[in-house]
Amino acid sequence: MENILEISDLRVHYFSNRKTVRAVNGLSMGMEAGKVLGLVGETGAGKTTLALSILNMVRAPQGKIVEGSIRFAGADVLAMGKRELRDMRGKDVAMIFQDPMTALNPVLTVGEQIAETVRKHEELSIEDAWKKAQAMLETVGIPADRAKEYPHQFSGGMKQRVVIALALACNPKLLLADEPTTALDVTIQAQVLDLMRKLIRENGTSVLFITHSLGLVAENCDEVATMYSGEIVEYGTVDQVFGKALHPYTQGLFGSLPDLSAATDRLKPIPGLMPDPTALPKGCFFCPRCPHAMDICAKEHPADVDLGGHRVKCHLYAAAGAAKGAASAAGRRAE
Amino acid sequence: MSASATTTTAVAAGRGSNFARALRRSGRNFAQFWRQLSRNKLAVISLVIVVGFAGVAIFADLLYEYDFVTSNSLENALLKPGESGTVYYHDKDIEHTFILGSDNYGRDILGRLVHGARVSMIIGFAAVAISLCAGGILGSIAGYKGGLFDTLIMRATDILLSIPTILLAIAIVAALGNSFFNLLIAIASSMIPGYIRIVRASIIQVKDQEFVEAAHCIGAGDFRIVLRHILPNITSPIIVQSTLNVGSAINWAASLSFLGLGILPPKPEWGNMLSEAREFIQYAPHLLFAPGLTILITVLAYNLIGDGLRDALDPKLKR
Amino acid sequence: MSAAKQASGAAAPILRVSGLKKYFQSAHGKLHAVDDVSFDIAKGKTLGMVGESGCGKSTTGRLLVRLHEATAGSILYDGQEVTAASDRELKKLRTRMQMIFQDPYSSINPRHTVANIIGEPLKIHKKVKGAAEYEDRVRSLMATVGLADRLYDAYPHELDGGRRQRIGIARALALDPEFIVCDEPVSALDVSIQAQILNLLMDLQDKLGLTYLFITHDLSVVKHISDDIVIMYMGQIVERGPTEELFARPIHPYGQALLSAIPVPKLNARKERIILKSEVSSPIDPKPGCRFAPRCAYASPECAAADPALREVSPGRYVACRLAEQFV
Repeated sequence: MENILEISDLRVHYFSNRKTVRAVNGLSMGMEAGKVLGLVGETGAGKTTLALSILNMVRAPQGKIVEGSIRFAGADVLAMGKRELRDMRGKDVAMIFQDPMTALNPVLTVGEQIAETVRKHEELSIEDAWKKAQAMLETVGIPADRAKEYPHQFSGGMKQRVVIALALACNPKLLLADEPTTALDVTIQAQVLDLMRKLIRENGTSVLFITHSLGLVAENCDEVATMYSGEIVEYGTVDQVFGKALHPYTQGLFGSLPDLSAATDRLKPIPGLMPDPTALPKGCFFCPRCPHAMDICAKEHPADVDLGGHRVKCHLYAAAGAAKGAASAAGRRAE
Repeated sequence: MSASATTTTAVAAGRGSNFARALRRSGRNFAQFWRQLSRNKLAVISLVIVVGFAGVAIFADLLYEYDFVTSNSLENALLKPGESGTVYYHDKDIEHTFILGSDNYGRDILGRLVHGARVSMIIGFAAVAISLCAGGILGSIAGYKGGLFDTLIMRATDILLSIPTILLAIAIVAALGNSFFNLLIAIASSMIPGYIRIVRASIIQVKDQEFVEAAHCIGAGDFRIVLRHILPNITSPIIVQSTLNVGSAINWAASLSFLGLGILPPKPEWGNMLSEAREFIQYAPHLLFAPGLTILITVLAYNLIGDGLRDALDPKLKR
Repeated sequence: MSAAKQASGAAAPILRVSGLKKYFQSAHGKLHAVDDVSFDIAKGKTLGMVGESGCGKSTTGRLLVRLHEATAGSILYDGQEVTAASDRELKKLRTRMQMIFQDPYSSINPRHTVANIIGEPLKIHKKVKGAAEYEDRVRSLMATVGLADRLYDAYPHELDGGRRQRIGIARALALDPEFIVCDEPVSALDVSIQAQILNLLMDLQDKLGLTYLFITHDLSVVKHISDDIVIMYMGQIVERGPTEELFARPIHPYGQALLSAIPVPKLNARKERIILKSEVSSPIDPKPGCRFAPRCAYASPECAAADPALREVSPGRYVACRLAEQFV
């Protein structure tokens, strides 16, 4: 299957007067068309930076994509000119931000905002664009006559619906959803996700679903990638990762969550903190917090180990990977 | 006795180490602040100028005697900068070089500027201190207590603000008489509304934060909350405003003196020097330029420092 | 009668709230933040209070420690009326009831050092004599909440959210309180840090015999930590019961929808999800009748007629719904 998104060895740094914040560190991933990929990680893991990089929107001069390549539907995003980027953003790749309020312009009606986006990318008359805007609002469950209202007249959940309508107005091939429901209450979150699932399925949109909640991944995604200190430490289908998490960090995340079905006395948190992105450890980034750390972990940065499509960046599985995946690794290199 | 002595030393040692720690802490904070400020070259130059002027004001008597710069010597009137003349001073003739020339009464202009600096500095700082205290207290009450206090204080402020500053100052000086102290009151009262507003607005911003609620929760009284929790968090805007205000107070003092409402000649003051120089603008322009440029440089320096402080103290800009 | 009941009960409630109301005056009318809420908490237990934003749970917590003044109702803490306490009585009460705040960034004063923040309650209530005892006490509090000794002189901006929240907890513990209102203490933290803080709170409860009111919108957290749960909706309690039972079988239609909406991080855990229609209606001068009726699938015109009272529908289970019996 053709990959709609192909990222290889991406490095993104932020520069402040003396320090270099290494936000994304040699990240490689591919995304199949039509799939929903859940990207899980904690604050500061580099999730949002990754999403912004895909749109080539990392803010200069502090932020810079130092190395690597991003290919969207075969085209090199980092080599695109201003015009091509503008065409791609919003039309082929759309983004939903965490805070719906900052994503909407407070002085334009929601209908105008959707119509404007549509007209930017499609040859439509003003009336047709307005009709399309109304139709989009209807699909997200907002009555068409509310198109004339301003963002502040909508509640939080309604605003996020408008943002979704705005993002999906041009039938994007790829949707970057950055914590789309974090600002919403659970019952509203359920409404919004229900809607998103329906629309995505209907349009065959590929989605990069960025979240810190494993629960949302389990229920909404086909594949999962766990991100830690700017790299993907584990990647697999939801069945693989939720069936048996391999990386100690992913295991730690599961241990940190209270279990709803069984009474647990104490949680098993991950000790310590995420490393300072200005001074990352030499070996494995997770090594200082890892309960299974070995000598090699502090010295050598682990490489990806492929265990039948379930990839993990950890020395624990080096032997298993070498035995099991020798053939497939050779195959991958040939690719 | 020896036992008690040991305890005392022990306590003193404990205190000392606490004190040393606090000193190190503030040293660290100051170093960081200084790094931020020193990045702004204009502010640093301005700071040097201001400190220099303050030094001149403090040691004015060592540079020129007060009597010397206030006594007439008509035979030396309107000398050009650098010219010398013989001055009859304290019953004897002395040879004197007028570095910046002399005015129409033969008084040394540089000397008058030096002593004028003293007046300006005192007025600048005293007016700011008075208005800061009054405005700070009123603004704190209005912001923290709210309700009726807030309404009364803010309406009074609005009324005060609706009177043009110069009119207010003229009215105060006219009513109370022409003196140094009344000039101070006039200038300070024109700056009080600004402080009330800035303190009130900052307090309102800070007082609903959770750490103030937390202070209530551990049983802290209103006085402690305002003094220990709120005020330290609003010092930055106040420091910036005060720096700018020193400049404008100096400006006001000069303006009022220029109009004959402040310090009157023969007492040296930049504004009245400017006023006296008007008549000789045609053939002795240096009489006008000397005090004019001094005022300009001083006020500009304070404003530039204020801007520099604003950037250095703004936590949002910290990197 | 109530005294006899208290005496006979195994665990007498340390806190008894009845008919508590808080209305805020807004430009458009009275905002009913808390509207006739009654509950009690037994000593050494944790009552979880859940609900969505704006349901009045944080206001309730603040009313208990009197950061807000109640409009009506009574809060009896160990027999003493909190709402009527004088300034002096209140100061004394505050050595017994404390609060932990939500936002670890705004809840501690950025201008004070860690030691000053933790030690301030000791100074206010003159709990220690002399500098040496003060320092010892602060350092032992830091150890209790797992803060490294070297952070004694650190400033909050040097610390991450988890450590800042530990400072907030140490400050609350400084006066040896018996009862602590925890207002969303972990919702601003990442999961791995959240687990550290939850464990700390539970350890402290075991060690010091603390009683908690644990306010949160995170249902899996509240299930983990609470003995009993109340669910709030628009300023009112709609359901109350023991945690295990309530999670196994919510009775109120809102409780059912709320619990079904929790995302579960497990394979094939997807259950029948109840998607509620529309959103919370305006809390300003609400119409009488069940507040949840406009979103309720079972609502009938009678539901809007009068406020449903919170009543015991099966042993230990209290529900405010006209139709509760049919869901039991």
